[in-house]
Amino acid sequence: MSRSTHKKEYEIAIIGQPNVGKSTLFNILTGRKARVANWPGVTVEVHAGETDFNGSRIKLIDLPGIYGFSTLSLEERIARNYILSGRPDAVIVLVDSLNPERTMYLAIQALEMTEKVVIGFTKSDAAHAHGVHINYDLISKRLGVPVVPVSAATLRGIRSLLRTTIDVAQGRTGRKKPLRIDYGELEPYVSSVESLLKQYEDRMEYPIRWTALRLLEGDNDLYKYVRGVCGEDIAEEIAKVREEIKRIFHRDPAELLAKKRFEYLQRILGDAIVRLEIKKGGFERFTRLFYRPFIGPVLSLTILLGMFMIAFTINTGFPLNILLDSLGMHDAASAVEEYSIGGLMEKLFSWISSWIINSFGESWLTDLVANGIISGVGSVLIFLPLIMIVSLFLAILEDSGIAPRMAVSLHGPLSKIGVSGHAIFPMTMSLGCNVPAILATRAIPSRSERLRLLMTLPFIPCQARLVVILAFASSLVSGYGALLVVLGYSAAFLAFAVVNKILYIYEKKKTGRKEPEIVLELPPIHRPLGKVLWWHVWDNSKHFLKKAGTIIFSLSILIWFLVNVSPSLALTDDPGESLAAVFSHYLSPIVYPIGIEPGKAWIIAFALLIGFIAKEAVIETLTILTGTASPQQALTLLGLTASQLSALTVFVVLYVPCIATIAVIYSESRSVRHTLATIALMLGVAYVAMLITYGLSLII
Amino acid sequence: MNAYSRTVVLEELPSGSRARIVEIIGRGGWIYRLYQMGLTPGVIVDVVMNIGRGPIIIRVMGVEVAIGRGIARRIIVEPINT
Repeated sequence: MSRSTHKKEYEIAIIGQPNVGKSTLFNILTGRKARVANWPGVTVEVHAGETDFNGSRIKLIDLPGIYGFSTLSLEERIARNYILSGRPDAVIVLVDSLNPERTMYLAIQALEMTEKVVIGFTKSDAAHAHGVHINYDLISKRLGVPVVPVSAATLRGIRSLLRTTIDVAQGRTGRKKPLRIDYGELEPYVSSVESLLKQYEDRMEYPIRWTALRLLEGDNDLYKYVRGVCGEDIAEEIAKVREEIKRIFHRDPAELLAKKRFEYLQRILGDAIVRLEIKKGGFERFTRLFYRPFIGPVLSLTILLGMFMIAFTINTGFPLNILLDSLGMHDAASAVEEYSIGGLMEKLFSWISSWIINSFGESWLTDLVANGIISGVGSVLIFLPLIMIVSLFLAILEDSGIAPRMAVSLHGPLSKIGVSGHAIFPMTMSLGCNVPAILATRAIPSRSERLRLLMTLPFIPCQARLVVILAFASSLVSGYGALLVVLGYSAAFLAFAVVNKILYIYEKKKTGRKEPEIVLELPPIHRPLGKVLWWHVWDNSKHFLKKAGTIIFSLSILIWFLVNVSPSLALTDDPGESLAAVFSHYLSPIVYPIGIEPGKAWIIAFALLIGFIAKEAVIETLTILTGTASPQQALTLLGLTASQLSALTVFVVLYVPCIATIAVIYSESRSVRHTLATIALMLGVAYVAMLITYGLSLII
Repeated sequence: MNAYSRTVVLEELPSGSRARIVEIIGRGGWIYRLYQMGLTPGVIVDVVMNIGRGPIIIRVMGVEVAIGRGIARRIIVEPINT
């Protein structure tokens, strides 16, 4: 075949506004084999994936979901710089079939930057059901750009989209030049800026007309760039043109240009789209409740709380076992606990451990495998089901469109601590893992709010810390165990609220900024796609399994050696003589104030130190150090009082979550100071909170 | 008749009303986000829900958008009778 001789590699970018279904389509196109690519210039996560099509290799770059190409957010900057870099052979712009009038704004802007564009209309299968009928051919003819309707649910149009994209990359179809919108009465101003720039065309990296338009829109990044390339005089001339528009039209040029683009879009789409009125579903009306005062926040919090209750019960039997116990149904309570997924897995791991020792005899090697690796990794792995269930719930909230409604409902209460409703996404994600939560703060429009969140989000306990809290709770009498969980989460949210409030008050005094604001799109409520939910669950589980298989596995071995080897490098049976003991001896004083005796203090101190790397490791360290099979036994052996356990729980919840979180705080803030300040803040708050908890619990 | 005689701010519009945007006052990042979401002068917005507290829910270009009250105070609109 002649085609195969054309074998070539293409780099294709995918962009789209938020909620158009971009990630779903990207996953379908790449067959879920995406990896995180490091970005030149900034270390920012961008997903890249590859696929073969008709003998061509296509490398797809998933750019962040954005509304436009201003430099409002980091994400807009990333997308814009990449498209202008000349690297992509073509750009796929995804447009929502349910809402083309707005989502095509991005396509229009992309077309002003480059001619190598294919437009994909997503959710094309759902358009009819929603009463939207689109004449794709007419839109394509008017814009001179190929338009392909696609559907992630039915997979319709996927191959056609790839074929068309390659055609555009090869220059066989599509536009020959970027789109030139007629800006009417503004044209004279645009041309005068264009002619100012024209003399420097050879030195400019960007298309002249696009640059002129963006400069008039007040793009500061680009203005600085042009001042560098063309000099102060030209920059000043351009600024004058901008001022003149303002003077004559009494309007911000950015507003005038946006308006012209939407008017142009209206001319393209006007008679190409027919909308039939479809009655709102009952569920859609129900979701209006989220917007009501009082009912809204209560509804949102109930959903979140209920979600965690169900997940906990399935995994550990808690809190259902306590409920049954208090009702006098002791047998049922212990059955729920024993046959919970966590209980069953714990049994399995301790069975494997004893099987190894029984069949291979007692030696240092079987001890390392059974008591080091298996009990270490096992004590963490029993929480895999919990992570899967919580991920599933979070995915349902996100994919159904309920999550943004929760953000609106909680905007009021949150703005009291200086945080907008936008923060609810990173906050909820934090309950799973802090790392993606910190990345999710990029979508927050206010920079100062984002920096505050980078410092305070890690207070919200992730699942790793939940693992520790639950292990601590399991060593207490059931009723107190439940209280300990409540205490852990209350301390976390209290710290989050108080620290945010203090930072917010300080900032308000310094800059006089007003209340947090929200501008948030509320996509139509819809049934989530099963495969999308599974992707979310699988991604989180994979991440967790990888961590258990690498970090936790290596830590288990390391801890076993530190605990079983003495400073003279001989094997020892007495952990008190081990390297770990000698080493952490210096750290023990930190837990003296909560009344832990020096003989045991080093064990706790060592576990807390290891917890810096990953929080789950606190539990495995305690298990290995005490030479026990389960966290419960380890804590019983340590004989901590309820007051001491409460104080330690609060400390574990509040201090630095893990190395990975610190790394991502640094890469997002790009500031050593900000990162160190965050660490100091967390340690300080955690320590003070620990002492307060201990003091209070003694009084009670 | 003076074109501005009937203008109010978006925040004052009751649920179910319809209006045309006349002007958006202020600057800063927010305003660009509003433009990108299709909120420019001349555009018609429907107020889906405004209960006097919390964000106002409007429909613009077929999409529902929640807007904080501080921002809604800076959007000048001209009510349209329906």
